[in-house]
Amino acid sequence: MNTDLSELTLMQLSDSFFPSGLYTMSNGLETIFDEKRVSSEGDVYDFLEVTLEQQLGPADSVALSNAYDCAKNEDISGIIRCDDVLYSMKLIQESRAASCRAGSQMIKCIAAISSNNFLKSYSEKISKNDAPGTHPVVAGVCSFVMGIKKEQAKQMMMYGFCVSVTGAALRLGMIDHIQSQKLLHKIKPKIHQTLEKFIDTKIDDCWQFSPQYDLIQMTHEKKFSKMFIT
Amino acid sequence: MTRILRVGIGGPVGAGKSMLIERVVPFLAKKNYRVCIISNDVISKEDADRIRKNLATDQGLLPENMVIGLATGGCPHTAVREDPSINLAVIEEIEVKYDDLDLIIIESGGDNVTTTFSPALADYTIYIVDVSGGDKYPRKGGLGIETSDLLVINKIDLASSIGADLNVMERDAKIVRKNKPYVLVNCKTDQGVEQVSQHIIHDVLFDEPPKNMITQVNS
Repeated sequence: MNTDLSELTLMQLSDSFFPSGLYTMSNGLETIFDEKRVSSEGDVYDFLEVTLEQQLGPADSVALSNAYDCAKNEDISGIIRCDDVLYSMKLIQESRAASCRAGSQMIKCIAAISSNNFLKSYSEKISKNDAPGTHPVVAGVCSFVMGIKKEQAKQMMMYGFCVSVTGAALRLGMIDHIQSQKLLHKIKPKIHQTLEKFIDTKIDDCWQFSPQYDLIQMTHEKKFSKMFIT
Repeated sequence: MTRILRVGIGGPVGAGKSMLIERVVPFLAKKNYRVCIISNDVISKEDADRIRKNLATDQGLLPENMVIGLATGGCPHTAVREDPSINLAVIEEIEVKYDDLDLIIIESGGDNVTTTFSPALADYTIYIVDVSGGDKYPRKGGLGIETSDLLVINKIDLASSIGADLNVMERDAKIVRKNKPYVLVNCKTDQGVEQVSQHIIHDVLFDEPPKNMITQVNS
């Protein structure tokens, strides 16, 4: 009997119980909440929408997608190229480090449940500092290795980001548990549209442009009192 | 990469976790053990900043970059228990750069009595409570109090002021912990702190000399 476990694997990797440390990140939301620039469910939606359109869509999802294809072709240098390009686009030290730490822990966990040799090679590159191991690129490689479809892997990454921000909004007291689910439901079409828009983008054509967002993140880096890493 | 031994210190807000570290590290430093401290802060960098200023800047017992503050997204228990990945990532970076360290101390953010550490994160755990919560504290149990390798009961100087009976706390600690060790401590005066340090040296470091001394002998 050929048992397809890929959807269960998708659930496992996208579950907030999966140890990737994403719950420690507000991705800048904490700063603008403290500055009283966001206060409602609608504000959180706007924050998510802009970030998906200007950052995760054109940069992170493209890197994940290209890394997935490279994993399929066992092209380790292609994966490192995706990793280096995305790393160079993460302008804020705090966000760069957080992404790489989440990536390194994710690959360590997947390597413990998969004996795939290509995954092991990439993991060794990260350990030796030959590849930064950004979270989206690691997620692309791990998803391929674990049999998750590429489109689902991209959705998982985008949705995971939205859960991270929404969870932060909940813990900051901006929204309640029902509003958080309404938000996650409402953002689904935006995730889909954004992924469609960048579906064929090659790694050398990826971009991100969110200067105000970058400034918010920079401010967060210097905050004395904070709950979140980013 | 050398795996460095790790001690996790957990306990409620205000029980004296940071203060215990500030008192224990000088004892370890006197014996030439090199220590790194990771302080999981719930809200601010206050604990990490204070430990750094005291132990590194003022006393020079360790380099300033050996005190690291980590934010935990409002989930201090998650960061040391079900998803310790951020702590582990930082520890792995330290292990690559500083393989001559003898010990890493991980301070949990202030939490409740059910706090435990992931076995992947800590080799040995200390749970600290203070007498101001009342002498019922050990009796009420909770995973932190019951299962930690060492229970520390702090601020014993306050017992008479708040009507807490230390004999009751000792009796109950023995019962709920099934005779696992506990130490009565007053961090303000260092009472009991040497005992805590000796537990770390004996139970975690197995009385091995500091790594830098071994290196000197071998060279």
